[in-house]
Amino acid sequence: MSKKSENERSGGLLARWDEMIVPLDGETLLLRGERSLLLAAKASSRFVLFIETVEDEYCQAVDPDDLVAVSMPEGGPAEQAEMMLELVRRYHTPLVVLPKDHPGTGRLSMVVSVGSQIHLSCTIQRGTHPEQHLLCSSEEFSGVSLSGVPGGVVIKNLPSRIEVVVLDAEKSAEDKQQ
Amino acid sequence: MCTVGGPVDIEFNERVKGKNYRCKDCGERFKGLGKRPMCPSCQSENVEEV
Repeated sequence: MSKKSENERSGGLLARWDEMIVPLDGETLLLRGERSLLLAAKASSRFVLFIETVEDEYCQAVDPDDLVAVSMPEGGPAEQAEMMLELVRRYHTPLVVLPKDHPGTGRLSMVVSVGSQIHLSCTIQRGTHPEQHLLCSSEEFSGVSLSGVPGGVVIKNLPSRIEVVVLDAEKSAEDKQQ
Repeated sequence: MCTVGGPVDIEFNERVKGKNYRCKDCGERFKGLGKRPMCPSCQSENVEEV
């Protein structure tokens, strides 16, 4: 894992890593904040992701180096996000986009994006944006961006207080079996 | 926090712009996204924009 320069503002309260490169293959990346978390992994295969909106169905061609990211803006168990990630990554479960102001937006504890670049924002309404380069997050993750590159993930603007953990997918599966 | 159920929401000019494609192998028509569109029915990359 390499960390480049650290950009400090306001006496270090908003310290962020400008750019961090995390080697990643089949593992899952966990970014854990004080109140929220984000899970990301490589798609690992080429497949068609269906994005269902009220108006239409979009078929997005996903590449192996693209990222599948699950955001839990209020936090929760990482295992829950892992299950959602695998539903999309392994079983290619379609993504459903709610219309704006749909009452269901308030009930979503997780949101998902799939793409080569994913930008996190706390100023979008949860579950209502079909654009896969945007993902709803908590305030502590807002402004962070992830890019899938060969052999790893580039993370930009990551607040220094966010914990970065690479989960071993195989070990995690073994732990669950025991 | 995120604007769940709240009134604040940035409206993006850049909405999803899918292009209409037809698979030259199986004839499936679909709205595709991405640089290398793939047929959702037969997974062929032999598709054309229509």
